[in-house]
Amino acid sequence: MDDKKTSVWTSIRFWRRSAAWVTGMAVVLLMILTFDTMKQVRMGTDEELKHGIKRRVPSPTVINYHISYRYDENRGVEVPVIGKKELLFGKEYSPKEAQELLHLGKLTFQAKDCIDCHTILGNGSYYAPDLTKAWLDPKWNDGTMISMTDSKTKEEAMVKFLMNPKDYRTHERMMPNLGITKKEAMALVAFLKHTSAIDTNGFPRNFSQASRRLEGGTNAR
Amino acid sequence: MFNSCTDIACNNIFAWLNQGPLTLTIILHTIIVLPMFFIYFQEKKRLTEDSKQS
Amino acid sequence: MLAKTNLKYESQKLAINYFTVAVVLFGAQLLMGLIAAAQYLFPSFLYGVFDFNISRMVHINAMVVWMLYAMIGSVYYLLPEESGKEVVGLKFGKIAFWVLTLAVTVVVLVYIFVQIGPADMKTIWFINEGREYIEAPRWADIGIVAVVLVFYYNVFATYQKGKKTGILNVLVADLFALAGLYLCGMFFTDNVSIDQYWWWWVIHLWVEATWEVFVGAIAGFALIKIINAKREIVEMWLWIEVLMLFGSGIMGLGHHYFWIGTPEYWWEIGALFSSLEPVPLVAMFVHVLYDWGREKGHSDAKGEKSPLRNSPAMAWLALNAIGNFLGAGIWGFFHTLPQVNIYTHGTQFTAAHGHLAFFGAYATILTGMIYIAIQGLVGIERVKMTTKTKLSIAFISLGVLGMTVALTIAGYEQTLVERADLGGGWDAYFIAQNLPWYVQAQGWRFAMGVVTFIGYILLVWDMLTINKAQKEGV
Repeated sequence: MDDKKTSVWTSIRFWRRSAAWVTGMAVVLLMILTFDTMKQVRMGTDEELKHGIKRRVPSPTVINYHISYRYDENRGVEVPVIGKKELLFGKEYSPKEAQELLHLGKLTFQAKDCIDCHTILGNGSYYAPDLTKAWLDPKWNDGTMISMTDSKTKEEAMVKFLMNPKDYRTHERMMPNLGITKKEAMALVAFLKHTSAIDTNGFPRNFSQASRRLEGGTNAR
Repeated sequence: MFNSCTDIACNNIFAWLNQGPLTLTIILHTIIVLPMFFIYFQEKKRLTEDSKQS
Repeated sequence: MLAKTNLKYESQKLAINYFTVAVVLFGAQLLMGLIAAAQYLFPSFLYGVFDFNISRMVHINAMVVWMLYAMIGSVYYLLPEESGKEVVGLKFGKIAFWVLTLAVTVVVLVYIFVQIGPADMKTIWFINEGREYIEAPRWADIGIVAVVLVFYYNVFATYQKGKKTGILNVLVADLFALAGLYLCGMFFTDNVSIDQYWWWWVIHLWVEATWEVFVGAIAGFALIKIINAKREIVEMWLWIEVLMLFGSGIMGLGHHYFWIGTPEYWWEIGALFSSLEPVPLVAMFVHVLYDWGREKGHSDAKGEKSPLRNSPAMAWLALNAIGNFLGAGIWGFFHTLPQVNIYTHGTQFTAAHGHLAFFGAYATILTGMIYIAIQGLVGIERVKMTTKTKLSIAFISLGVLGMTVALTIAGYEQTLVERADLGGGWDAYFIAQNLPWYVQAQGWRFAMGVVTFIGYILLVWDMLTINKAQKEGV
């Protein structure tokens, strides 16, 4: 029976010390990982953007460029591709202006509680479409919303929609009017354009590809 | 099985370790769990000594 | 309200206050959930007056707050019994209760009547922070921190003075982490990736690490209290649970960093660590049933009465063991691997997991704690289940499980059609939302929500009348 006394597996001390070690080690590793991740997801600068240095979260001035979302052979997922100059609201924003616009956009996004209907980067509520790549959504790019809102460009259409979603109804479930001003709406558009340039490791996958191919239909219907 | 790093930034230890099959996560698990062996033997020694004394 | 004269300690009387508010907020959570569920079926319901974002926000906030209330209440209840000392500095704790309750009331009223504001920092400070789960405006954040500091002072000072049991060791360390983590959610940044990175520190490290450990500690206390489980065994299990919960849960945070702009190496870290998260939940399940069987075996062998001193609390505790494993473990594992998660991320799958996990892991055990407090309140040796107890458990479990299954079907459909087939986006989203399977699932979810609500009414009724029933003999 002496053996039983020396069993470590039933020793509270052993488990307590192990729990402390494991917890401590996990926390330390998480902190190291956090430092590295923070370095990688800090917002890029205009210089980096001009020199084509890729950042996971690009400079706010990315709103002055064309953005697309294409499959990357090397990475095996879709990645945002920053192309030629493509002005937003017919204007080229300086780094400072772009920063301010993005700030207002993010603030609007929070002040209007968008996240409790929509998702962004896949997080949020599930009552309305995901906004991660909203800027690239076919709905804005195939002319549907542009003609519906009687606009010339997609950013103009987005602003009109955001200010008065009730007037441009596409489904029974529709967005309410949230009292978004023109300035706030423009900032939101900039925020969404910037978000669409964030490298999300390929989320959402195959973005809107099939919905275009099947012309809005699916075999499941 | 082994894929060279294709991520945007590869100049960090984690991206480097991530190139093998589950290598990164196994190494992290090992770092976390390994000290338990040390604790185990230390406790074993202590318990054996305690039982000798009594 | 019941008289509190049977309670031995002042802090247990304060615990009753916390539990009372918790139960009221639980009801608010269910009502808001019903409104939100109805809005899925009838989008014009309260449209423009009380939109989905508001009902959903109050639904979730009420849940988080009632659970925190019940958690604080549980600590105030068990602390003097564990340490053998009356809680130190309780008069501050009493003030903190009223401050917190007032703050919560104001926040909820502002949510309901002001809802949203213009885009400036005033909105963030006074109306709505617009970050899921932690929408509470900044002033309330600071208030919460202040109240929690008072609470922690109560706990820590008492811990220092009294008996330092294993359960208290875990609890004191865990509460420190739990309170500290809230600070990670109190800043504004333009960078949405960094925003979500730290936001998950609060959300994940709460519900998948510190809250789970809290549950482990509470369950340990409850087992000792209800079936007189052997303290050595309970505490050994508790440390094993802490080891496994923190060992997998802390780095399991990686499964939220697959798609928010963070590096690819999180795929692997999140995948394996979070796959191990169900393991401690199995351990907790085994532990509860093992102890129950063990104690019952002992008393049966001696020909004594059943060791069960509080059968409603034990029923909720057993439900916790199953629900935690099923909701947090199985439903969590369903979509934790990045290969799966790329399609399920941001669908009703998450909602299905959320419903069963929060119920199974937290609502159950906190309800059990409330029954233990009721026993103390009445001051009797044995509490037995009444018909209402049984019915409320049946209705609530069936309701929540039903909602979960319905949402899982909805999520499955959404994953396949919207994501895998159509690739996401505006049109894909609405095509999937309008398919019959999805619509039917939402119908079932609403129906099951009503069942849950009926169960809630029975539960409250039972809590208010169980003492009378005991005196009359069940």
